[in-house]
Amino acid sequence: MVLKRPPEAGEILQGTLDMLILRTLVLGPAHGHTIAEAIERTSENALEVEQGSLYPALHRLEDRGWLSSEWGVSDNNRKAKFYKLTALGRKELNAATGRWRKMTHAIGLILGEAKE
Amino acid sequence: MSVRRFTNRTRKDEDLAEEIASHLAHEQDANGARGLAPEEARRQARLKFGNPRTTRENVWRYRSIPWIENAWRDLRFALRALGKTPGFTLIAVLVIAVGIGVNTAVFSVINTVLLKPLTYPDAQSLVQLLNATPRGSFPGANIPKFNVWHQQSGIFQQVAAYDFGGAGLNLTGGDHPEQVQGMHVSADYFALFGAPLAAGRTFTAVEDSPNGGHVVVLNYGLWKRRFGGKPNIIGSTLQIDGQPYLIVGVVGRGFETDTPADLWVPYQFDLNSVDMAHFFTVAARLKPGVSLAQANAQLRLAADQYRRTYGADALPPEEGFSIISLQESMIGDTRTPLLVLLGAVGLVLLIACANVANLLLARASSRKRELATRAALGAGRGQIIRQLLTESLVLSLTGGVLGLILGFVGVRLLLRINPGDLPRLGEDGSAVSLDLNILLFTLAISVLTGILFGLVPAITASRPNLAATLNENGSRSGTGLRSGKLRSTLVVSEVALALILVIGAALLIRTFQKIESVDPGFETRNVLTMAMSMSGDRFQKTGPFAQVVRDGRDRLMAIPGVVDVGATNCLPLAGGFGMSFDVLGRPKGNALSSGGAGFYSISPGYFSSFKIPLLRGRGLTEHDDAAAPGVVMINQAMAKQYWPNSDPLKDRIRIGADAGPAFAEEPRQVIGIVGDTHDRGLDSDVSPIMFIPIAQMPDAETALNSRVAPLYWIVRSTVDPHTLVTSISAALRDASGGLPVAHIRTMDELEARNTSRQRFNMLLLTIFGGAGLLMAAIGVYGVMSYSVQQRTQELGIRMALGAQASDLRGMVIGQGMILTLIGVVIGIGGAFWLTRFLASFLFGVKAWDPLVFIATPLLLGAVALIATWVPAVRATRVNPMAALRLE
Repeated sequence: MVLKRPPEAGEILQGTLDMLILRTLVLGPAHGHTIAEAIERTSENALEVEQGSLYPALHRLEDRGWLSSEWGVSDNNRKAKFYKLTALGRKELNAATGRWRKMTHAIGLILGEAKE
Repeated sequence: MSVRRFTNRTRKDEDLAEEIASHLAHEQDANGARGLAPEEARRQARLKFGNPRTTRENVWRYRSIPWIENAWRDLRFALRALGKTPGFTLIAVLVIAVGIGVNTAVFSVINTVLLKPLTYPDAQSLVQLLNATPRGSFPGANIPKFNVWHQQSGIFQQVAAYDFGGAGLNLTGGDHPEQVQGMHVSADYFALFGAPLAAGRTFTAVEDSPNGGHVVVLNYGLWKRRFGGKPNIIGSTLQIDGQPYLIVGVVGRGFETDTPADLWVPYQFDLNSVDMAHFFTVAARLKPGVSLAQANAQLRLAADQYRRTYGADALPPEEGFSIISLQESMIGDTRTPLLVLLGAVGLVLLIACANVANLLLARASSRKRELATRAALGAGRGQIIRQLLTESLVLSLTGGVLGLILGFVGVRLLLRINPGDLPRLGEDGSAVSLDLNILLFTLAISVLTGILFGLVPAITASRPNLAATLNENGSRSGTGLRSGKLRSTLVVSEVALALILVIGAALLIRTFQKIESVDPGFETRNVLTMAMSMSGDRFQKTGPFAQVVRDGRDRLMAIPGVVDVGATNCLPLAGGFGMSFDVLGRPKGNALSSGGAGFYSISPGYFSSFKIPLLRGRGLTEHDDAAAPGVVMINQAMAKQYWPNSDPLKDRIRIGADAGPAFAEEPRQVIGIVGDTHDRGLDSDVSPIMFIPIAQMPDAETALNSRVAPLYWIVRSTVDPHTLVTSISAALRDASGGLPVAHIRTMDELEARNTSRQRFNMLLLTIFGGAGLLMAAIGVYGVMSYSVQQRTQELGIRMALGAQASDLRGMVIGQGMILTLIGVVIGIGGAFWLTRFLASFLFGVKAWDPLVFIATPLLLGAVALIATWVPAVRATRVNPMAALRLE
């Protein structure tokens, strides 16, 4: 059961982390550490993932049915919990990306970036 | 929001812990790959991740619903705290259980009698037709009234006539004749009450008209019992009073009428009849959308029509017709008494609340340090109040469950002993069942009670005074002035409320004594009564009827041990019929008759069986038969009322002159005057009665009597009459040609039944009053012993300074008695105001009976004295050295 909540100003950051996690998992299943690393590396270290909020976010996304998880063995030959994007999660990623684009475009207009 | 969020919290937390460990391991691996030493790699990984516990707590909190968590924690804590003081918990739960139990008990009776809808389908539209008179409205109808009501098709869907109680019918044929409850009904009866059919059909209009033939509808129970539920019963015949009746239908299971019936036969009214005798009741079903007011308005027109048709003698101008809902009609005058009882148990509950509140206050002051410690550790005031209220609710709900059991079992036991003459309760109160109403009521008062007794102590206890409390020496952490006052107030109100209850109980006990001491005017010892249904064509005429009575008396007198035998259609205490009469040669003025009086047909031996004294003149003999001149006997009340200045024995009266031609009589000579009897109950005044020999009744009267009432046999014996039942039944069966007798009871039993409502009220209020008194005593005892305990030091110092033991004892007792006295004064005031609601219960006692208002406070004072005595004695045992060393 998924309830859509209207985007609220205070939740933008949280929403962003959710979107980033979903985007990272498009490439395939990954465990928490890899997800954090991937976000940091892909953003050229512009973004740092708060470890304290990564795991709550993962659990929340899983409860909403956007991710599924499974214990497995990592490249380092260690036990790790792998998260996988579900069909529902893929749909949410599209929606979230759309929302994000629209918002950055709008903000861009206001900041006058569109003229460049 | 997904429910997944809240499930499997512990497992998910362990999962997360493992996940975090895995994360740290990977981070450590990565750090190691960058060339850090293993120790440093681990340190860096931990540093980067932060505190894993915080993350776990975040997720844990995200997975929780705070208020449930809190409530659960409070509940566990409450159970632990209550478990630590089992004595307190036990007493509190018991007190609450008693308080809630009596409320549940009374409410379950009210629920059954007043609240539950009738079992008939769509029962709200059922109404009872009444005769409206300036003295009140009464059910009862004759054929002309039924005829007029039946025509009111604008307001009524169906109108049906049925017997009041009925005389019973005799199933003959087969080996065992049996008297059954047969009810006469008109054809619409079954449709009106929505009776389901198990087989066959109900009466047709033709079958319910004169000469409609002998047909019968069986009830499910009789069909199962007597015919083994034979499926092809329809069309076979049943012998009733020696006549074959065609069985046309069987009513389905679960159809319960107010007066239970085994079978139904049609009335077969002749609607052209002008017979004015009232011998049945009428109910109707309102058409959809017709209100009571509309129907009553229409009935006013119907009354005018009736008056035009049958004359003003049949319906005087000040009288008319009206309806009330059938349920109201069945409830009758029981509403007020039941509400008074509810008020009484409300008082019991209030006393229980005050009692437990008192216990809680005492407990809270001994827990002061604990609560202060909690506050010091950061518990807010609201949290502490919530915690204490949770404890109260645990107590009250536990007490509520116990009270529910107590009250429900108690009320069933009580009703088995004494159904209190209440309607709708079923056999021995079997209709009182546990339903949602009762459960909700008990739950609601449990919660209310918990809040009521818990809130004030909780607020008082949460008042923050940390430093003072924590610094106080443990043994001195005593009662603050405020909570001492509060407790005294509670005790005073307990005493006041208890006094009101006990005064109420005492008034009812006095009432019962007065009723018991009424001389009924007849002797009940060793008198057996039984009923014989004189139904059937044989008893439509007086001759054969009187023959059975004469034969029966002869045979019964021959039984060894039998001293006297009488027969009548009206037993004392059971009420009877009335008739108007004219004194011959006395001018009537504008009145229709000289007056009215009870009209009892009796056999010789009636007065001697009951030892009713003959005051003047002569009694009846076997010679006063149909061939002899008409005679009548009267009671003293009739002589006094209608012959204040003359001798009734010199007069002749004509009975029933205005009751229609069928009842017309020749004048009768008054031959004797007998002593008065309380015929309509011991708490009613004696009324004038005329006694007519059975052998001299007009045929129409005999026929009517046979239809509406059984013949009662009265046997006085020198031995316990129960031992004679078999031989009496056999003798009567022989005399009557095979008629069975039923309702075999001694007059003592009938008298007990007659006073059962007073006994019921007295019993209940005495129980409630006793419970209130006990609780008040516990309250006084609790407060005084607590105060003695708290003042140990003070008492020690006083003793050390030379106070005598008697001084200290006097001081403690004095304080306890002052509280009691204040309570008594308030209670007397309250009782003066409240006992007026008891007025309708009382007989021979005034609502402010001085004896009760003096004796009851004395009793309560004595109980309070005992309750303060123990703590007072304890005060004198204080060892001054030990008390001072505590410092």
